Amino acid sequence: MQVTIDGNSVEVSSETTVLEAIRSLGGDVPTLCFDQRQAPFGACRVCLVGVEGAPGPIPACTTPCRDGMTIDTGDATARRVVKAVVELVLSELPDPPAEHTELAVVARGLGVGEPRWTGRRHEVRHDQRHPYLAFQHELCISCGRCVRACDEVQGAFALTATGRGFDANVAAGLDAGFRNSTCVSCGACADTCPTDAIIEITLLQMSDVP
Amino acid sequence: MSRNLVELVRRQHTVQAPTALQVLKAAMDARGEITDEDRRLAAEASGLPEAAVYGVSTFYDDLRAPRGRRHIRVCTGTACWAATADAHVDSVRDGLGLTLGERSEDGSVSLAETVCLGFCHSSPAIRDGDRIDAGPGAVERLLGGTTADAAEPEWISVLEEPVLTRPGDWSGLARALAELEPEQLLAEVKDANARGRGGAGFPAGQKWEFTRASPGEQKFIVANGDEGDPGSYIDKYLIERNPMLLLEGMALAGYAVGAEHGFVLVRSEYPHSKPILEAAAAQARELGWLGEDIAGSGFDFDVTVLEGGGSYVVGEETALLACVEGLRGTVSARPPFPAQKGLFGMPTVVNNTETLINVPFIARSGAPAYRDLSPGGSPGTKLICFNERFARPGVYEVRFGTSMRELCEDLAGGLIDGHEIKALQIGGPLGGILPASRLDVGFDFDALKAEGCMVGHGGIVAFDERTDIRALARHLLRFGAHESCGKCFPCRIGLTRAYEMFGAEQPVERARLEPLLETLELASLCAHGSGMPAPIRSLVAHFPDELGLI
Repeated sequence: MQVTIDGNSVEVSSETTVLEAIRSLGGDVPTLCFDQRQAPFGACRVCLVGVEGAPGPIPACTTPCRDGMTIDTGDATARRVVKAVVELVLSELPDPPAEHTELAVVARGLGVGEPRWTGRRHEVRHDQRHPYLAFQHELCISCGRCVRACDEVQGAFALTATGRGFDANVAAGLDAGFRNSTCVSCGACADTCPTDAIIEITLLQMSDVP
Repeated sequence: MSRNLVELVRRQHTVQAPTALQVLKAAMDARGEITDEDRRLAAEASGLPEAAVYGVSTFYDDLRAPRGRRHIRVCTGTACWAATADAHVDSVRDGLGLTLGERSEDGSVSLAETVCLGFCHSSPAIRDGDRIDAGPGAVERLLGGTTADAAEPEWISVLEEPVLTRPGDWSGLARALAELEPEQLLAEVKDANARGRGGAGFPAGQKWEFTRASPGEQKFIVANGDEGDPGSYIDKYLIERNPMLLLEGMALAGYAVGAEHGFVLVRSEYPHSKPILEAAAAQARELGWLGEDIAGSGFDFDVTVLEGGGSYVVGEETALLACVEGLRGTVSARPPFPAQKGLFGMPTVVNNTETLINVPFIARSGAPAYRDLSPGGSPGTKLICFNERFARPGVYEVRFGTSMRELCEDLAGGLIDGHEIKALQIGGPLGGILPASRLDVGFDFDALKAEGCMVGHGGIVAFDERTDIRALARHLLRFGAHESCGKCFPCRIGLTRAYEMFGAEQPVERARLEPLLETLELASLCAHGSGMPAPIRSLVAHFPDELGLI
């Protein structure tokens, strides 16, 4: 089948997602919960794009291509809404994300400034009981990448999403730290985390150096 | 949830392991709290990883607040709010000397909030153990230790020959098995154009067709009895008063799509629903209407009844399936749709319980008769219910197309004590709000949509002339934020921000409200986040001055 992305046509198979089609043409849209090693999750809503004839923007990561689809990655409504979503994400963190993180890169790319909406923020909670891996729970944006990395890539099932709504977060085992869980210290969670909520201790120590 | 977890749950189901949610609920019922030891035992029994069990134990309301020997749950649903503006919550809290979610130090008593006990006809409602009291004096009786069972009004059909309130007698299944091939039954349901009664209004026949066409070793029917809408007690009535008709509808769905097993998920807020439905299923097995080789047709079908754990979003179909699997009740992106990959990864029909009780009539009397039930309106009939503000609250079976004024004034008798309707919320917390000046609109899918409202699940909550509109917005958004499953970012954060805007003392800036509502509407993963702005938009349109907007 054929789809058109920002005016360029491309042949795709029926299994291809809109995000894969965009990237196959060398284009890009920002993402936060997407990791190509994992099944698409559709949580962050940062990959929204415009599709001709659709009632509103659609998430590129979970939407399969349809023959004749006309996709606009610069769709004004999608860009406006995505920027607002990232503002909301920044508004829940006690401090702005570190500049090297994927979240900070996405926010800069979209030109997101001070969030228009403020209120409750995540409570600071650190767990450094593991020799190599540390939690900074307040930085968790519930993208689910660590949980999926643990389940789908490593098969260790050591992590879970916790709570619900604004209080959603992540925990290892029975929330008694990595050491008291089935964690095999592979680091896949820290590798995929877009905010440094899970980080390798050595990196954490390096970032502490002024 | 990850794909590996779903596969794990499927394997555990084939060896008939209990789900993690079931084991945790039982632990809570037995000891009033959940310890790590309970979680380890639940992991062992269910086969789920410990971390996943921990995640489940932090998701559901029923598993979170510790319980004393006497556990009291005060209803904070919209009908109770319309009756007292939450004064009953304050009275119970002060009277017991406990905050919501607190257990007394000696463990004798505990207090929690619960959203909607389904006694909206006699608010305020309070649950003391498994006894539900409601109406005037309920708070005083509770505090005096004399909680009584509240009465429930009879349900009434306006039809000469009731369709949905008529006790199920299996005549629809009998005819289908004797005279119709599964494809013919499916065609009949499609031709009847029965639309889903849970809120979205999706044609039931189309869902069935997709499921029938999807390849799968097994297929399932899941009846959505998770009627979470504050202000609605329709499913409570139909499950508890007409369980046979529901089971018959499920069996018909199974026959049409090629499924041999069905699940019903009922709410834990309705403590009588599960035992009543289980007793009906046992009776149906004795009568030969459930089980193997039903009526000598070669068709096998049976039903399992499960109870939820306290979560509104579990009413969304993918979250419902996660709850049936005993996992966290969070929403999954579609596609894949349940009709392709549903319960345990198999093709699954998910229908609202009310949708399913429409099916026996279609099977028995045919599509044309069904379409004729509401002349000039949507096909079939609808159950609606009214809150305590009305003179004659209760569940009614009505024809589509009847005006809201006729329903509110003629059927429900207007409001009590000379009060006047200021506004109605129709169809649940995601439904728009209709001001009194617009009551002449017809009760129908398209007519209500044009007013920014919806049929939804059919609950009608009146707010009288004394209602503080800003407090109403706050009430609705508090519910929205509390019930967000936390999966998608816009809903998880945006509903809390919206609640905070209306919760603060300052005026609400339109310039900040509008883009927040737009973001919720366009970016949310499911109808919870995208629907919560609807009532707020109605209030902005009809009561801008009272909202304190600038």
